[in-house]
Parts: sequence; structure tokens; C-alpha cells
Amino acid sequence: MNDVFNPKLQRRTLLKTAAAGSAVAYAGLAFNPLTGEAAPLVAKDLNGSVGEPAVRQDGGLKVSGQARYAIEHAIEGMLYGVAVQSTIPAGRITAIDTQAASNAPGVVAIYTHLNPLAINPATPFIKGGAATENFTPLQDDVVRWNGQHIALVVAQTFEQATEAANLVKVSYAATPAIIDPDDSRAKAQPIDDLQARWGDAPAALASAAVRVEGVYTTPREYNVPMEPHACIAHWQNEKLTVYESSQWVGGARNVIAQWMGLEMGSVRVVSPFVGGGFGCKVAPHPHVAMACSAARLLGRPLKVALTRAQTFTSYGGRPRTGQRLALGATREGMLLSVVHDGWNETAIDDTHLEPSTSVTALMYATPNMLARHSIIPVNTVNPGWMRAPGENISTYALETAMDELAVKLDLDPIELRLRNWAAQDPKANIPWTSRRLREAYAAGANAFGWSERNPKPRSMRQGRELIGWGMAAGTYPVWRTPGEAKIVIHRDGRIEVLSAGTDLGTGTYTILAQTAAEVLDVPTRSVKVSLGDTDLPRAPIAGGSQLANNLTGAVYAAAKLARSELIRVATRDPKSPLHGMVAANLVFKNGRIKPSQRPGEGISFGDLLAALGKERFEISADTFKAGATEADRHAAAHGFSQMQLPTTGGVSAHSWGAHFV
Amino acid sequence: MKAFDYVRATDVAHARQQAGQPDTRFLAGGTTLLDLMKCSVERPSRLVDVTHLQGLSEIDVASGQIDIGALAKMSQVAADVRIQQHAPVISEALWRAASPQLRNMASIGGNLMQRTRCTYFRDPAAYPQCNKRAPGSGCAALEGINRNHAVLGTSPDCIAIYPGDLAIALVAFDATILIAGATQRQVLADDFYRLPGTRPDIEHDLAPGEMIVGIQIPQSASLERSHYLKVRDRASYEFAAASAAVGIELEKDGRTLKAVRIAMGGVGTKPWRARAVEQALVGKVFDEDVIRKASTLAVEGAQAREHNGFKITLAPRVVARALMTVGGLA
Amino acid sequence: MADRLNLHLSFNGGRIELDLDPRTTLLDALREHTLLTGTKKGCDQGQCGACTVHVDGLRVLSCLTLAAQVESREVTTIEGLTQPDGTLHAVQAAFVEFDAFQCGYCTPGQIMSAVACIREGHTGSDEDIREYMSGNLCRCGAYPHIVTAVRTAAARLQGSKV
Repeated sequence: MNDVFNPKLQRRTLLKTAAAGSAVAYAGLAFNPLTGEAAPLVAKDLNGSVGEPAVRQDGGLKVSGQARYAIEHAIEGMLYGVAVQSTIPAGRITAIDTQAASNAPGVVAIYTHLNPLAINPATPFIKGGAATENFTPLQDDVVRWNGQHIALVVAQTFEQATEAANLVKVSYAATPAIIDPDDSRAKAQPIDDLQARWGDAPAALASAAVRVEGVYTTPREYNVPMEPHACIAHWQNEKLTVYESSQWVGGARNVIAQWMGLEMGSVRVVSPFVGGGFGCKVAPHPHVAMACSAARLLGRPLKVALTRAQTFTSYGGRPRTGQRLALGATREGMLLSVVHDGWNETAIDDTHLEPSTSVTALMYATPNMLARHSIIPVNTVNPGWMRAPGENISTYALETAMDELAVKLDLDPIELRLRNWAAQDPKANIPWTSRRLREAYAAGANAFGWSERNPKPRSMRQGRELIGWGMAAGTYPVWRTPGEAKIVIHRDGRIEVLSAGTDLGTGTYTILAQTAAEVLDVPTRSVKVSLGDTDLPRAPIAGGSQLANNLTGAVYAAAKLARSELIRVATRDPKSPLHGMVAANLVFKNGRIKPSQRPGEGISFGDLLAALGKERFEISADTFKAGATEADRHAAAHGFSQMQLPTTGGVSAHSWGAHFV
Repeated sequence: MKAFDYVRATDVAHARQQAGQPDTRFLAGGTTLLDLMKCSVERPSRLVDVTHLQGLSEIDVASGQIDIGALAKMSQVAADVRIQQHAPVISEALWRAASPQLRNMASIGGNLMQRTRCTYFRDPAAYPQCNKRAPGSGCAALEGINRNHAVLGTSPDCIAIYPGDLAIALVAFDATILIAGATQRQVLADDFYRLPGTRPDIEHDLAPGEMIVGIQIPQSASLERSHYLKVRDRASYEFAAASAAVGIELEKDGRTLKAVRIAMGGVGTKPWRARAVEQALVGKVFDEDVIRKASTLAVEGAQAREHNGFKITLAPRVVARALMTVGGLA
Repeated sequence: MADRLNLHLSFNGGRIELDLDPRTTLLDALREHTLLTGTKKGCDQGQCGACTVHVDGLRVLSCLTLAAQVESREVTTIEGLTQPDGTLHAVQAAFVEFDAFQCGYCTPGQIMSAVACIREGHTGSDEDIREYMSGNLCRCGAYPHIVTAVRTAAARLQGSKV
């Protein structure tokens, strides 16, 4: 094995390798840290296929302003709704005076807890549903947080609704609120499922030769996608269509159906373009419930858009967190103990988990571990998912502590990490699927010239500025959910990929086209992808960094099946010009099926269909295991029950990275 | 927004006559007014659009003074090569403000009238206690989150910061504001802006029906050698945490300060002229130690609240750095 | 008090007559009343730049402009940038070529801002581009590619070698 991965590596040798890597990188070559060889990058004909640069399929629409986002539709008879929010954090509404508001020009209806909307509770995902909060607005007079929806004002125009909302006068009986998790009245609730424990960590810490301990806090962080949450609810008889900015139309359909007391089949959710999500659009939020319910009562389509200010209290972002983390080590830098206690704030009557223990128990080998996490209810909107919930804050504390330990030990931070290499998942005690973290350390060290770094804090400066130079490791679990996809080949040659999966800027439109194009051997730009509609083949959540994996798998399966089906009908159907040929002698080349051994152009897909007298060729496939039932398939697209853990199957699957700054 | 009548002014007299009616506001760029109307802070019944008035957008650099019409756009003035040459502090104060789009919309006159960004002032629904909106109702910022509130010029009634940049430069260089009223009058920029005192709702020396028509800046050697330094949380498109408009003139020996002008932004309830620092520097040798020592006088009388004490540390450093930059020491 | 103004507006060279509530912003006149939804509402208070359009060739924020204010002025939106035959403007093409967007919601505003930024002569360096495009926020973080797209489009429009 190359010396780079020897845990007992001397710093000098590591730096020498890093220097060599840097020199090579500057020459525009690719450096292989395993072999120390440099090789030129291979140039290819670019078709935009998998592994090649491709422009986004939806790019033309987005740059010309033709991509339609949630509320960018006009429906005849549409009304506008504006939410009114509480201005105290805890208590009861004693009076709502809607007189002036009702008399304002254009006002059609005002809904409050006194004139309520029929909204049933939706099952939160931690209880097996798809909702991210248990709050249903306008159902009682209780104020749980500052910024809670307490009324919906509906008018003919947006300007009229906005002004009327401003005229609603609310009186409250305030009760003492708990705002600060440090408040003596705030009660921490330990979450035992999140605990990681082995050995006797407190005792091992106490007797360790070297210790670091710190308190790490993070403030609230908001997703703030450029597109504020907004929806249009449109009832046609007892069928409801919701144009909703959504990372998961299946989950949205589930939640909306529950709110409205409908079968899911009566709810359609449309979300082909999403102006950013970052976790806050995985489930519809309570304003959507108000919109759907009001639209039903009024018998008119209803557009409800949150103002930017309202997006900070209508749903939650990453909660405030705190962690106390202590590391104990030998003087040689071998970890002996990790003692970790963390918490996140949550709503006073709802649960959001931001597990500070996610990464603590995974990253390094240690004989003693005690990592615990609690939630602390306060009067705030229920926090929500935002970019690596849990892993984000867990890595922050752990990697900072490791940095401080490296300084205390006078050891290179990379070397410290290499010395505590976890050869397998330390919590589940099963092998990793792969863990190229050492390659990441080496690649980063090479690219950033780690050998130039002076490890003494405050030692480097440029003019009047101090320069810091550091690194940290990161990880994210692999979540997997089976999915479905459909490919349609048309007589006129068009090829389509259909999926309810969403593209929130993540590139789904493009990678699915690339996947199908590679298998069918057609230019990527000739494949048209349709997404983000519950009328399309069911798809799981775009969340947890899993959708690309889930959907490319399903599309790949569908494309492979399409290939074999095309070959089958081409060789077996008497109407086919390739009838009677041997399947093994046929190849796919640039949109045609042709003989591999003989000259000739073969036949295009479209011409083949024409010859067979078919208008279209539809192939559906999925990545479900054999024996999956219809109930399983339905569940995968509308909830989390089919989602596999990183440890499903007896191996531990995560992505790993190193960040150099 | 409350419903309003929209009127287009045909000339200054017409504009003034309309503005003399109650609940009426001039509308030029609209970047402050429309924003505050959306917050329900401003609720006029009538808007008088003055953007079609002729002859109020000119920039004149005659010998001895610079005249800028009230309807000149911020971007227009910032890009004017004569302003860049003869009054760089004005160009810099302008192009470091807001964003390119806002600078294309905002007029010089409107920019002078810009109102505070105090989050309590801007949220009437949640914070009825605001002496600036409703004198006597209280001030939520005093015991609230006051990181972005003033340390200079405050009163027990109000600690809201004046957020603009151009006015800082105007105050430093004794610019005057030209007002069309019952009579034409000129007022020094420093006198145009009022301290909050017991009436934080009165921010400017402008009577109903009066209209700003231009500004006038006397030229000087220190205006030619001037600079605006704006220190803030973000590198661009953000209000000042502390800023300084400065200008210097050196004696023929190239080392001794003959004249120095300093005003600060981001720290006061109005643009803050730092006369004590100026007086401490005139006649002194222009070097870092002298500058840093004198700059500490910039925050004489400053009062911190719970979250804004850092401004008292930061402001003198910003003054010093701005002076050093314009003098080639930084 | 008139609750409607009869306005003669010009969007992308096309004349249109609308009866609008005086409170209607140019942004809502475009999005709600003429279904020109390419211009986006990101904050509705002048803080994000997603609503950037050109008025008489200058880039401005349509959310802080009343529709009434642009009577007798020429308004250009993202839809007006593409040629009638679908040919993309050099800036639009560069955005696609250099992947200068992800979700696409800030993109029309970025492009309208960039076209004006180039015309203003503020693309002399990457620092210039970052400063003079600072009025357009992007939460997907496409800034580095946006700078590349703007720099490249500027060079192409100005006839220089890229």
C-alpha cells in the first residue's frame, strides 16, 4: 500500500507527496494519489452523455423567462389570498376585528378561527406520514409562536387582499413565552433513539492524557429560496389541482389529501419548476391548507403567496442548536473518548430533530463513545429541514474539536485524522461500502499546497489581514428509495422520459436525459424529460441527496428494457424490416438499430414504429425488489416507509469529503 | 398599501401645490417611499409623481461650486467624470450605496430623504411602540435588538440610525440643500437633518409643500482629495456598520495638514460631522499615529446600548483608515 | 379617489392598454395582468433583484416601480431579449453555456442586469462584475458561473477574443 495511507506516516513524507501533487495539478494533468502518476485528461467527442459536460435541458426555458413556476398561471375566476400572522409568541386571541377589512374594496371573504376553514390534521413524517409539521391553522384561538397564521383574507386582487389583511385588528391575552432554550422553564427532552454509546466514555475522558472540550452553538439558519412559497388551489368538482412549489409532489399530494379529507387519487400536484428549496419545500406548509380549504368553500381558484417576511415564520429552517463536545486522546493522538451532548430547539408542541450525534459516532475510531441529543420546545415555528439536517451541525462541532485537539497535540490535522481512521462503521459495526476519505485528504492537500502551511495559529498574513488555512472532513448518508420511470418513443422520433420527480435546480431534467440517451445511443438533447406532476410515474422525495440515484436507476432500467423490447419486436415482428435477424448482431447507433456486421444504415426508432403500425412505444420500469406490491410502490412515492437506511443490507453507505480552506 | 390618488406634476409650482395637501408625498424613484408603503409605515392618500419635471436633473461644475439637480439619478451623478475628478467622495458615496438597479431609480433629492432601516420602525403591526411613527408611543429598540442602532445623537425617545451615504459626504463638505417653498431657500446639509430629541418624527427641515430642487457643494482642495470608506457586514449592497467621508489638503511641505474634513455614517441619528477630530488634526503632521490618536475623538459622547457598542470601537478606526487611504498611507 | 387608472404601457415594443389599481407595481402588472411571468418576485421589497427589468434601457427594480410611473417609457423584460425566431441574446446563450443558474428563479433578473451591466461598461474585471452585479442575489450559489458568463458575453459583444 502506498505510504500516503500509512497511519503512522511522518509529516515530512505527507508534505512531500502533497508538493508533488501540487506541481502536477498546475500542469493541467490529473494526479493519481495512489500511484503518484500524472496522466493527461482524455479528450472525447462531446455528446452531452453521462460523464461529459452537458447544458441543462431546461436552460433555454429558464434564460428566456418561459419556465413556469408555481403561481405563474392564470385561471379564470382566480382570487388572491393573503395570510395574517400573530405578533405575539404565546397566548390566546381574544378578539379579531375584521370589520374594516371586510368593508375594504374587493374583499370576498375573511377566515379566522371564528370563521374557520375545514382542515384535517396531516400525519407528520416522524409518525409515518409526509407532513413536516403538525400545525393546522385557524382551528383554535391558541398562539404558539410569533408569526403563526391566524387569518386568511381573500379579495379580487393582490393589492386589495394585502391592504385588507393590514386592516385586520387582533387582540391577544399574552402568556409568558419561552423563547430562549437557556430559559429555566425550557425543558429538554432526550431522544434515546439518537444516542450512541459504547465503552465508558466519561471515565476514559477523565483519565486521558490530553483533553479538549468546547461548547459549539449555531443560530437559526433559513433556507430562503429565491422563490417564496406560493400556490394556486383549483377545484374542479371534487378533484383538486394544486400548483405548488414542491420538492416532492407525491408527498405534497399525501399531505393535501389528508388536510382536505380526500383520497389521494383526487389530488393532483403540479411542480415542473421550483425556484429553490434546500429542504423547505419537501412538504406543503400550512398556508397551502388554507388555500385549498378556502378555494373549496369559495368555489373559485385561489392564489396564496407568502410575502418574503412571512417565509421566516410560516415554516421553519434549521433550528438553533448547542453542543458540548469533549475529546480525550493519548499524547500520540489516538482518540480514547468522545463525550457529546447536543440539543436543538423545536416548536412548543411539535417535534423537529436536528441530530447533533449524526456524525460524531461515524467519523473516527474510538474505544469509548457517549453521544446524546435532546430537543428543547420553545415558542417558535416548528423548525424544518435545511441542507444536511443533523450532519451539518454535528460535523461542525466534531471537526472543530479535532482541529483544536491537533493544535494541543502539535500534530498535523490530517495526520490526526489518519491516526484515528475508522476502518468500518463504528456504530453499526459493519463494513463501509466505500470510504475514499483518505484519497480526499490527499487530493485536497495536493491541490491546495498543504505543505506550504504554517500550522501555528495566527502565523500567516497578507498585508493587514491574517490568513487562516485549515481543513475538515464531511460526510452524508446514502438514502435510497425505489422509484419508477417511463420512457416513450414516438413514431415521429421523439423520445420522452416521464417522472413525477422534481428538479429544483438539481439538474434532474438533464441527468435523466443523459441516462436514457446513453443507453439508447441518441444525442442527449433529443430526449425530452417531463417532471414534477403527480400524473406522471410516481417518484420519491427530492431530499436527502437521493433523487438522482433513485431516478437514474429507474430510467436506466426503463431504457435497458426499451432497448431489449425494441430489439425483440424488430427481430420478431413480421412487419419489421429487421425481421428474422439475430438479436446479438444488432447494435444501437445514433438513434438507429443496425446490423453490426453488415453495411447498411439500419432503421430509426420512429421508422420502426411506423413499419409496425404503432404510434408510440411505452416502457415502464422501476427499481423495486421482486415481489414489491402495489402498496409498496404507492408508499414509496408518498411517504418514507420504503426509504432504506444507509445501513440497510448490512453495509454502511455514505459519501465522504474533505474541505480545505 | 392604502389606496391613493396618483398625480403627475407638470412643473414645480404644481408639484408644490399638490404636496401642500394633507397625506401627500412626492414620488420620484420610489425606492424608499414604495418600500415603506408596502410596510404600511407610509400611508399617503396622494402621490405626486415628479419624475417628468424638466430641468432638475442637471449637473453643473462651475468654478467654485458643484450644482446637482434633485432629480438627477444616483447612478448618473456617480458616473459623472467631473464629479469623479473634483469630488470623488460624492461619487464613491453614491456607487457604494444600494445596488446598481436602485441607483438607476433613486433621485438625489429622494436619497437625501431616505428613512431609517430600524426593524421596529419598519414593522408597525408587530411594534406599535415607535416614537418616530407615533410620538409618545415608546421605543421598542431601546431594550430590543439594537445592533444596527445609533451610538451618537440618540435621545431616550429614539436611537434609529440615519442610513444614507451621500449625506455623509455633503455634511463633511458643508454642502447646502436648495429648497423651493414659499420662498427659495438654502440650508446647510448639517442643519437639514434633525436630531431626534423628543420629536423623532421630525427628521428634516422641510415644511409641507416644500420641495428639494437641488444641492450645492463648494469646491475646495480637500474636496478634490476626498474619499468615502464604507465598512459593513457584506462587501456590497448593504448599509454601513460605520462609514467615513473624508478629505485632506496638505501644506506645500507635503506633510502638514492644512485642511481636513470628516463626517461619519452608520453610527449617528443624523450624518455626524467629526469637528473635534478635524480640529485636532489641522496643523499636525500627517502620519498614522497622529491620525489614530485624533480619530478617537470621533466618538466623543457616544452611548452604547446592549448590542451596538462595537460601533464605538469601529468608527474611529474607519475614520483613521479613510484618512490614511486618501493620504496614501494605507 | 380613482380606483383604476387607464394606462398606456409599452412592454417589449408592444403597446398595451390596462386599467389598473394605482397601487399595482410594474412587477405585478407584468406577472398578473399581462402574464409576462418571466420577471420574478423574490422579495417584493427591492432587496433581491429578481424583478430587474429595463426602463428606457436602464436596469431598475420593477417591484419598487408603480406601473403608472412607466407610462410613456419603454419597458423591456426577459421575454423581450430573445429574438422573435427564438435566437438567444449573447448573455442568455452564455448563461446556458456556462451553467450560470440552477433553479432558474434569479436568472431572468441576473440576465437583464448583466445586459445593462455590459452596456454600462462595468465588466472590465471580475471584481467589477461582482460589484456591479451585486444587486442580484442567487441562493443556489451560481455566482462563479454567472461571473464567467457575464465576462464571456461581454467580450463577445465587444468583439474581443474570449
